[in-house]
Amino acid sequence: MDLKDIKAIVDLMRKNTISEFEMEKEGFKIKLKRGQNGGAVQGYPDESTLSNASLAPSASAMLAAASTLAPFPGVASSTEIEIKAPMVGTFYRAPSPESAAYVENGTEINLEMVICIIEAMKVMNEIKAEVKGVVTQVLAENGKPVEFGQPLFKVRLQRSLAS
Amino acid sequence: MSNAGKSKMSMDAQILSALRAAGPGTISGGELAQKLGISRAAIWARIEEMRSLGYDIEATPHLGYRLARAPDVLHADDLLSRLGAVEVIGRDIRVFQQTTSTSDVVEKLARDGVEEGAVVFAESQTRGRGRLGRPWVSPAGKGLWFSVLLRPDIRPQATTQLVVAAAVALTRAIRSQTSCQPEIKWPNDILVGGKKVAGILTELNAELDQVKYVILGIGIDVNLDTGDFPAEVRRSATSLKIETGESWDRAALAAAVLRELDQAYTRIKTGQFAVLAEEWERQCVTLNRRVAVRSGAQVIHGRAESLDSEGALLVRTQHGRLEQVIGGDVTLEK
Repeated sequence: MDLKDIKAIVDLMRKNTISEFEMEKEGFKIKLKRGQNGGAVQGYPDESTLSNASLAPSASAMLAAASTLAPFPGVASSTEIEIKAPMVGTFYRAPSPESAAYVENGTEINLEMVICIIEAMKVMNEIKAEVKGVVTQVLAENGKPVEFGQPLFKVRLQRSLAS
Repeated sequence: MSNAGKSKMSMDAQILSALRAAGPGTISGGELAQKLGISRAAIWARIEEMRSLGYDIEATPHLGYRLARAPDVLHADDLLSRLGAVEVIGRDIRVFQQTTSTSDVVEKLARDGVEEGAVVFAESQTRGRGRLGRPWVSPAGKGLWFSVLLRPDIRPQATTQLVVAAAVALTRAIRSQTSCQPEIKWPNDILVGGKKVAGILTELNAELDQVKYVILGIGIDVNLDTGDFPAEVRRSATSLKIETGESWDRAALAAAVLRELDQAYTRIKTGQFAVLAEEWERQCVTLNRRVAVRSGAQVIHGRAESLDSEGALLVRTQHGRLEQVIGGDVTLEK
């Protein structure tokens, strides 16, 4: 898929007044949203909204907005952020080796939800999502050490956060 | 501040304290009534109640009451009376007959905004847990299974200080209350005779740069018999009773552990962590030993050389590299 294809989809969306379009194909995923006036950029919370509404005063995990690709004016993919390790330790995706992982790709997460454990010297730190959205990628490996600030998950923020 | 615990003490705790203070002597009903500001009849009713719980309280005409023997049960009032004045840890004690895990109960208390220092004991746990959901055997009336709620004003990384403090407090209490010589296996397993008798699991709830609360989950295998342990852990786990051939007073040990924990916690709060770290290092059997560190599928073999300032284990691998170990399972090798 290239820019021409995306442009075609956007045109199709505009013609049929489709406001949202999502497609997944061979590891490639695209999500397009149109504004109410037929093409205004949206789905892009500004820095201040992000830090005030969703992060402050607490952030059990460090967050950073990932560089969001806007293919061309009029279209913006929804905002993806990375949840980063708040401390050095061993990364665990589940409370025990036998249990299911806290989150997988596609898991909807919300603020208070535990998404992983980081252990250091037998201190088990349950990391909470602190954001609302959908996990799009698990970036760290279960049972492996993680560094301070290392990205753990990619999360597509939910629309409500930006408004 | 140090009287906070005392003022909250219930009638029963105060009666038990007075009986204990009298030691082998007696204390009269009139004296007790005056001390507590209630009638002699009310004292008698409380004593009857405690007798029904198993407290052997003798009454001698014209002399008064004497505590001949306390039962081998955990009783919040009894623990408060044994503990006396504390700064933080143990000023609120709750005992359950059975619970899933005492840490589950403390987590609820934490979310309900209960003050730090609260301690929850259970006579038995149906889902006592160790690291990574590993089960912790907690048979009724044989051990001390409890969790402590703390709200330290520290950064999340500094929580390792509590790990050190808890290990030191446990070894001190076990040494003072039993004939055992406990040692610490990094970071905070307590060993007697080379086998584990107690474990500490710390659960942290933190924001980026501030701890919200910490739950210290502690299990001490006091009077367990070999048959109480599942076959697969018998080689690595033991109890104070198995090691000494004697049963130990659980309530006395519990009070001693809480007192030591309270003192260690006060040390941390007043910037005296170095004292604890030194004591911890002296008792750490992991140092100068060949170890295997398993983390997920990865295993590091080497020699544990020292601890760094945060308490991490520094392991010299067979390739000569110095690795900082903060997690995983550490096994001592021959």
